[in-house]
Amino acid sequence: MQEGSCQDNGSHTRDHAAPEGGAGSSVPDAPMSAELAPAARAPLYAARDLNRCSGLLALSVLLDSSVEHYRGNFHNKAMYTPLSVSTLSLAASVHGVTGRRPLGHKTRLAVFALAIVTGVAGTLFHVYDIIRKPGGFSWQNLFYSAPLGAPSALTVAGLTGFFAERVRRGQTQVFGQDAARLAAITSAVAMVGTTAEAGLLHFRGAFHNPFMFLPVAMPPIAAGFLAYAGITTPRTAYPFTRRLLTATSLMGLAGTAFHVYGVSRAMGGWRNWQQNMVDGPPIPAPPSFSALAFAGIAALRLLGAKAPNGPERLGATKTGATGAVPRA
Amino acid sequence: MPVDFDSRPRAVAGRAPDVFDPKGGFVPMRSYDEDEAVDFVIVGTGAGGGTLAARLAELGFSVVAFDAGPFFRPLLDFASDETAQNSLYWTDKRVCDGENPIKMGGNNSGKAVGGSTVHFAMVSLRFRPEWFKSRSALGYGADWPLDWREMWHYYTVAERALAIAGPVHYPWGPKRPRYPYRAHEINAAGRLLAQGCEALGYRWAETPLATVSAPRGKSPPCVYRGFCRFGCSTNAKQSALTVWIPRALKAGAEIRDLAMVGRIEVDDQGLARGVHYVREGKWRFQRARHVVISAYAIETPRLLLNSATDRFPQGLANSSGLVGRNLMTQSNQAAWGRMEDQVRWYKGPPSLTITEHWNYEDRGKDFFGGYCWMGQGPMPIEWVSVQTGARGLWGERLRTEMMDYNHQIGVKMVGEMLPDEANRVTLDSDTDQYGLPIPRITYRWGDNDKRLIKHALDQMMMSLDSVGATKLFRQEDDTNHLAGTARMGFTPETSVVDADCRSWDIPNLWICDGSVFPTTGGVNPALTIQAIALRTADRIKALAIRGEL
Repeated sequence: MQEGSCQDNGSHTRDHAAPEGGAGSSVPDAPMSAELAPAARAPLYAARDLNRCSGLLALSVLLDSSVEHYRGNFHNKAMYTPLSVSTLSLAASVHGVTGRRPLGHKTRLAVFALAIVTGVAGTLFHVYDIIRKPGGFSWQNLFYSAPLGAPSALTVAGLTGFFAERVRRGQTQVFGQDAARLAAITSAVAMVGTTAEAGLLHFRGAFHNPFMFLPVAMPPIAAGFLAYAGITTPRTAYPFTRRLLTATSLMGLAGTAFHVYGVSRAMGGWRNWQQNMVDGPPIPAPPSFSALAFAGIAALRLLGAKAPNGPERLGATKTGATGAVPRA
Repeated sequence: MPVDFDSRPRAVAGRAPDVFDPKGGFVPMRSYDEDEAVDFVIVGTGAGGGTLAARLAELGFSVVAFDAGPFFRPLLDFASDETAQNSLYWTDKRVCDGENPIKMGGNNSGKAVGGSTVHFAMVSLRFRPEWFKSRSALGYGADWPLDWREMWHYYTVAERALAIAGPVHYPWGPKRPRYPYRAHEINAAGRLLAQGCEALGYRWAETPLATVSAPRGKSPPCVYRGFCRFGCSTNAKQSALTVWIPRALKAGAEIRDLAMVGRIEVDDQGLARGVHYVREGKWRFQRARHVVISAYAIETPRLLLNSATDRFPQGLANSSGLVGRNLMTQSNQAAWGRMEDQVRWYKGPPSLTITEHWNYEDRGKDFFGGYCWMGQGPMPIEWVSVQTGARGLWGERLRTEMMDYNHQIGVKMVGEMLPDEANRVTLDSDTDQYGLPIPRITYRWGDNDKRLIKHALDQMMMSLDSVGATKLFRQEDDTNHLAGTARMGFTPETSVVDADCRSWDIPNLWICDGSVFPTTGGVNPALTIQAIALRTADRIKALAIRGEL
């Protein structure tokens, strides 16, 4: 995360001279002096990490909702909403990742807020779709009606983006809570939620392949360690938790490969991709584990920065490092 | 008109069709010499014989299983064409008489390796435990010599073998293990059944089906093509052809397709010696130490009766005089109607939801026995036959009614008919294409049967009415699955076989199919037949170990 440091530094200085966004913010600006720059960049890097996660999640939602809502024939016009909002979130995230200014951005913030709201509204729509059918909250309807947990991925994408906006400006508090802790706990909770979703759908698939147990077994452990990191005194490093999260992110990618294989096992296999991609295991779904694991790793980095010698973890020089990250 | 799909057998020269190969490949098959007395000859390869062939071979016995029908390749042979699929049924010449003659065909027969499981609707239900003691517990029919708890175990084994896709919790009867696969997504017809049940205050469930809802081995998950009561062209259906036959072949059994067994030979000691069968136009003889007949409720008694000798003038295993008697079918009446919205009932398996309410509720009945009803999704030609048959429609009115096909809904019962010795299979003087006397099937509904049917039709009509269906009508004439004609029991005087499916009269002659049912229950019989076959295989092994075979 040391690339283009001079450039970053420069833009930072320039931005500070002509601040953008973040209106009404009482957040202390990041220090400007050159020797503190690497540490000062920590929030920016963490923010961009978070934006990568929000972007990956948004991409996952975009692809997944495209396929699933196409499958549902867009019978309700509202079913286009997650496609457009996740596209916007993806764009905002890309903008955040590529942007080198350590300041908030009003439009990005608005997009992420919209994603949060859309996810919540989507969940309500999906709940309605389940309870209106005979059997109500039954396994049948949980399996085959609109997936209960899916829209919250958009909410989590929005939240992660929202945190990124705050962190980027060096703000250490979100919703009155510590941003690093909140990011860790949000990722952990979302990971458990995603596990529930995977568990439900893999149960629907009768765990016919033993590997289907993996995304049900591993992420909760990683989430547990991540949540533990989020509620305990920050440490400089979390090697074990980080390894677990890295493994979870790799599992998400492997899941995509498994789902590609799963599609091949349907009648006609990939020759009949138009049907089997829609009806088979969702290929865009498993990377949401990767996205959340990345978010968890970003949160660990933020937590590491809060530890007494945290900035060292971020590769900053020792000089003045501890004071570089503003503390609330 | 019987049409053999292919006049030449496919399972020959040490190989049998690979049912999972889309290119028409083969799997190796062990071959036995006709002069070699194999441990078991099995006549029929359906739910009873197919299961038994696999299990006996897996338990180390040498097995040759015969089927009069062809060895189909589902991926290549099964067209999405109702008429073409008639070749799966046993439509040989038969005489059906009595007050309520049984219509033979797709509902109750199969002529193929895999038997009628090749085209069965995959409904895989357990008996209500009390039915195994119908006489002593419920006051009608006859007791089975089997204990329901033992059957519960074999049901579980069968459900695992078939990867039954069923509900997470089954709402009736004693606790059962979770179905191996999850229930399928229910279609609009299934949902309407559920709504009707909820309106009447009855429980409903997803029907446990023998078609996979997720990949399993070489079977892809069901694609909801809807041609389920015919041959499944994707192999999602877990039939004897796709489950037991491949297992049997792998374990060293030989399958002889297009091989009609016409007579069981009995030696001077009164023991079965083997079977005479016709294949490729030539009569042949296969020696065997044991003979198992698994040819279902018409062909099993026919074969026993056709094998009469001087020593057994009334047919084999017939000292009780009960071979061919107590034939039972199941009432299969329906209520049909029209919904304002499109239903498209042909999507997916036809019977995705079920209510077994009246199988488990005894109060408020003026009849013995029980029944369930399930959602329906007849294909167009079948639907035409309902319109012409049950309603007598023709011409312009028929055409207009058929335009409503996408709006139609219906529920159909599977109802218990009581055993009656007068309902029976006998031999007719006429002969078939093999020169064998054909069966005469005599049937009459009893008063109890009629009361049960009336009760069920009223209930089903109420259920359709409660979901707002219009233009309701009853289909009053249909029947389906068969049972009886070689019942199992406690004594040689009152039954044909014992609890192990071994005939009382000839110790190396066994009968293992729906014929052995003393009563038929109000559910589809396929799973029970398979559970009995699984038990029989284990019993044979146990007897062999004890030297009592």
